[in-house]
Amino acid sequence: MPDRPGPAVRQLPVSWTLSAHGRRLLTLATAGLVLALLTQRPEFAGLAAPALLLLATWRPHPPRTLAVQIEMVNRQIPEGEIVPVRLGLDGQDGYETALRIVPAADITAGPDVIIPRGTDRPGKPVRLHFQPERWGSRPPGAVEIVLRDYARLAEGRLPVSLPAIRCVPRPAALQGTILLSRLPARLGEHSARAVGEGGEFGGVREFVPGDRQRRINWPATTRLGTLHLSTFAAERIQNVVIIADITADVGEAGLTTLDLALRGAAGAFTRYLAGRDRVGLVRYGGGLGWIGPGQGRRHADRLMDLLVQGPAAAERPSSVTRLPRAALPPGALILVFTPLLDPRLIETLRDLRERGFSVLVVDVLNSSPQHDGSTLSGLASRIWQLEQQAIRFSLTQIGIPVVHWDGIAGLDEPLAPFTRRVIAVRR
Amino acid sequence: MIARLPGQEDTGTADEAARRADGQPLTATRPTAWRAGVASALLAAAVVGWAAIPVGTGRAGTKIALIAAIATAVLSVGQLSLSGVRPLEPDVLSGLLTQFAERLLYFVRAAPWAEIMIVAVLALEALHPARPWHTALLGVALIAYLFAVHLAETRARLSVLAPQLPVLAAGVGLLALAVGAAAVPGLPHGGTSLLIRAVAITAAVIVAAMAVPGNDARR
Repeated sequence: MPDRPGPAVRQLPVSWTLSAHGRRLLTLATAGLVLALLTQRPEFAGLAAPALLLLATWRPHPPRTLAVQIEMVNRQIPEGEIVPVRLGLDGQDGYETALRIVPAADITAGPDVIIPRGTDRPGKPVRLHFQPERWGSRPPGAVEIVLRDYARLAEGRLPVSLPAIRCVPRPAALQGTILLSRLPARLGEHSARAVGEGGEFGGVREFVPGDRQRRINWPATTRLGTLHLSTFAAERIQNVVIIADITADVGEAGLTTLDLALRGAAGAFTRYLAGRDRVGLVRYGGGLGWIGPGQGRRHADRLMDLLVQGPAAAERPSSVTRLPRAALPPGALILVFTPLLDPRLIETLRDLRERGFSVLVVDVLNSSPQHDGSTLSGLASRIWQLEQQAIRFSLTQIGIPVVHWDGIAGLDEPLAPFTRRVIAVRR
Repeated sequence: MIARLPGQEDTGTADEAARRADGQPLTATRPTAWRAGVASALLAAAVVGWAAIPVGTGRAGTKIALIAAIATAVLSVGQLSLSGVRPLEPDVLSGLLTQFAERLLYFVRAAPWAEIMIVAVLALEALHPARPWHTALLGVALIAYLFAVHLAETRARLSVLAPQLPVLAAGVGLLALAVGAAAVPGLPHGGTSLLIRAVAITAAVIVAAMAVPGNDARR
């Protein structure tokens, strides 16, 4: 499970207090004895007897420190994945040990675990679980270790902070890919229109001196009487740049425009990188961050890190309408996940189209402003909807298709019209 | 409140394996918590009712003690049931309702209501005429209530109390002895003799309690 060397064992201090149960027993015993003396009724002293006997089992020298070793995964964790925490403990000295995760926000803790009194489990770690509900880099909470004595009168508490996790958006499901008709002249895995050295049959042409003899198509040669040879399609790579618009975060919790933009972007670059394409990422909003196209597992990790990093890490996008050239290789397919609420991004999209890029917008807006039912409010809402329709129509008119994604189904459904055939590049 | 993970039954697999290896149970605590909560609520109602009857025979202040006992019993049960509730988020409710809910939550959590209830119930019992066996049953019910509250708070199973049974049995035996002594007829009446009897029984209980912790085998 661990992706790093075993963590160090730490000796942590345990703070002991009278437990709530102990306090209540003490109250019962004291009140019984006091009432026995005040009322001169011995039955109250008898009433205090069970509590007093239990209090008398108090153990005076509890363990002051505990050896704790926490082992957790050190990798990117997708939203909703159950994360195991292995906890090694030593030094309980026969005390019952209860362990539970006190979760931070957007974290769901798994069940508590109790190591019964007198159970010696040296070297056998306890396994707890938690589940991050939303992406982000943050500490998931703390493990609370509670030691209890024989009569559960005293409690030794020891909170142990869990190391921060890197929770990444759950990639949206995407099986198909959008393929452009014109691909850059780099060896890849997509069959291009150009003739090359690939494995897909392209056609038959007449032999000219200098051609390789092993490509001679003997059936055609026999039929036509002159030497003919087979041609094959070139195998090219595709450059894909994904723009995740994080300028707005509106909508139902868990399905906000920000969540959907990040999940969509993560799903798209995961799919294209799996197809050995070169993928770049532009994180638009809060700060403009970008990574140029690349390939491989490490590149995927870098893209994911950029996707979930805090907004302070990059420059302000206040006046950015032109994206940097280095982030946009010529002829790249540009996939934009956006709610189309930021006019600067819409300007940027128009600029990209004017520069000749093939752009496709995935609209992740699934909510509209609430109105109170009044005529004025309804009118404002209607105007807003018309504006949104106008924005989408204007983009379509300049050759930028806009598809809507609800965030629940996979991306294949909205992208189906574009993944079934090669998209002709229009300059 | 700690939410349950989907497929929670599977999450303890490694621990279950460890349990099999060790021959010791790693207890999943949650399923019994609500039962202990219900038991503590019923026992709270029972002890208040038992200490209150008959209401008419009590001395001055009985009704005040009864009101206090009922209020603290309700608050202690409320405290128990709200123990897992997180502080309210601003967008859950709005305005005055949020403020009221937050203050109510703070009030319910602020004081040790179970302890106050114990004192109120004992005061209620003391305001009634002497009735040793009635008081003894009240004592047993109070101890049961305290354990039920503890089990509900810690979400532990009933079996964790098994090692304490001998001590509890000894305590109940002492309680029976004390009550029996209080009920013995024929002793000379008067304040002095009652005081001497009460002090003697208290001393006996304390001596018995001091004798218990020497037994290390029980731990």
